[in-house]
Amino acid sequence: MISTKNITFSYTKDQIFHMPDLYCEAGSTLLITGDSGKGKTTYLHILAGLLKPKTGEIEIDKTDIVSLSEKATDKFRGKHIGVVFQKSHFIGALTVLENLEMASWLATGKKHTKRARKLLEQLGIENQASKLPSQLSIGQQQRVSIARALMNEPKVLLADEPTSSLDDKNAEKVIELLTSLSKEYKAALLIVTHDNRIKERFINKITLI
Amino acid sequence: MIAKLAWKNIWFKPLNTILSVVLLTSSVAIITTLILVEKQFEEKFTSNIEDVDLVLGAQGSPLQLILSSVYQVDSPTGNINYDSAKVWMNNPYVEKAIPLAFGDNYRGYKILGTTHDYLVKYKAKLAEGKLFEKNFEVVVGSEIAQKLNLKIGDEFYGSHGDAEEGEVHENYAYKVVGIASKTGKVVDNLILCTIPTVWQMHHGHEEIPAHGEEGHIHEEGDEHQKADLTLDEPNMEITAVLLKIRNQMAKLTWQRVVPQNTKMQAASPAFEVNRLFGLFGIGVTALQYLAYGIMLISGISIFIALFNTLKERKVEFALMRVNGARRFQLLKVVMIESLLLCVVGFIFGTILGRVALSMLSNSSEEDFKMSFNPYEFLWQKEGALFLVTLFVGFIAALIPAVKAYNLNISKTLANA
Repeated sequence: MISTKNITFSYTKDQIFHMPDLYCEAGSTLLITGDSGKGKTTYLHILAGLLKPKTGEIEIDKTDIVSLSEKATDKFRGKHIGVVFQKSHFIGALTVLENLEMASWLATGKKHTKRARKLLEQLGIENQASKLPSQLSIGQQQRVSIARALMNEPKVLLADEPTSSLDDKNAEKVIELLTSLSKEYKAALLIVTHDNRIKERFINKITLI
Repeated sequence: MIAKLAWKNIWFKPLNTILSVVLLTSSVAIITTLILVEKQFEEKFTSNIEDVDLVLGAQGSPLQLILSSVYQVDSPTGNINYDSAKVWMNNPYVEKAIPLAFGDNYRGYKILGTTHDYLVKYKAKLAEGKLFEKNFEVVVGSEIAQKLNLKIGDEFYGSHGDAEEGEVHENYAYKVVGIASKTGKVVDNLILCTIPTVWQMHHGHEEIPAHGEEGHIHEEGDEHQKADLTLDEPNMEITAVLLKIRNQMAKLTWQRVVPQNTKMQAASPAFEVNRLFGLFGIGVTALQYLAYGIMLISGISIFIALFNTLKERKVEFALMRVNGARRFQLLKVVMIESLLLCVVGFIFGTILGRVALSMLSNSSEEDFKMSFNPYEFLWQKEGALFLVTLFVGFIAALIPAVKAYNLNISKTLANA
């Protein structure tokens, strides 16, 4: 589960973002919507511990990640937070399977090859395991991103516009995989999006103004 | 895992990698070859002048005299009268005097008239057979015996002078009585016999060569003498005398006194060899600068390659951070990539340098009877070269690595 309190953030002195408090149980989904420029991605980066907020608390599984040092944040993020980005990026020189193994190795020091293969199977791309990411279609790449985000069985799964570059069919499939897998792995799923195709599917919503 | 990633990254951009490795390889190869050649060259030159303080020979270039009489690579300066040489050889300051008389050659290998002391000086033992005692008995150097497949009891005819195509002296045949052990010095490539052998070979020669012809000994005595000549024969000529001197002062003064009072000169091998190294030194230094220049360029090439790919890899690095990588691990990836290139370049360079050296050795063996050993490792100098190579890699990777270390993940991902 994840909850936040009184988060504020500013890039410059003039402009301060007040992020609404949020709360999400393990296994459930929360949608964060809002127009461009309202700080959706910034909020996601704060939640992932990539940016330090000016004030406030973020509690993930009883740990306040705002108070952690940078090194501890890196470690915590690797173990407990999975992130899916709008565009998928990979380590170009490594195969799909190696990319997953690397994600697990960086966080825990172990490769967990079995888990990687199981995830690829659940996402229906097990036959792409030994290809380079650049050889996959965009839809397939997005699924590999999901697999990578889930590699360390995170407490929180953050998705930044996961469907915006996908067609209807793929978007549908990705959302379905995200929700079902986050339930299975008992992760709180937070989706940042302005994609109308998926807004209707979820009840829990926060809108940034 | 980080090292594996670095390795995979290197080969993901093969052209960049090959360029850097080729540059590194060539600079390391040049330097390795230079190090080995310089060391082995000096070693060969200095080991041959052990126990030779002065060389007595005909007037002319002292360097030529040293090269011809000690290293057997140049033609001699001319001949000297054995009787007048004896005056100096018997001087109390002289600890040991080894007379040399250049005669014929056999298939390009010099036949040298001398005394048994010559073998003692080079610490050459007899591997087989006995020493030369009578005229026309020869002891063969180890390399010649191996290459020409000579055995005890074999007989052969020599060709006149030092040209392989020279006129063949068919009136006397040389007989192999001994084979010397391997020494790694000039004696391995010589055929040794008594001095009177050289005299007698040219005695009764129908066509008398002109006086003072280089490399040729001939006497002016009775042309129809049938008995074997001995060292006591008067008025004969030899080519040079290797002298070991007891008195330090004499070493210096003789260099002046001998040419002033006789038609001979006394040259110091140590001095001439140093002069020679001085001449070589300029060329070696120039080549070294060239090689370090290439190494600098390879450093720049690695830097540019890393710097260029860093732009596209920024997102990759940010992603690794998201997955829990620490800043230091990113720095490590960049560093290891650069150092791996350097290690690969060094290994290839070391091998290539030795291949070049063995090729060089083959041709110098043919031309100068001087071979180099490509399998020798000079740990100290080559180790230093390895460290220099790694240092180049370290410097080249420094800026890209620090950039990776200081990467702003949030900004990189937001703009990706």
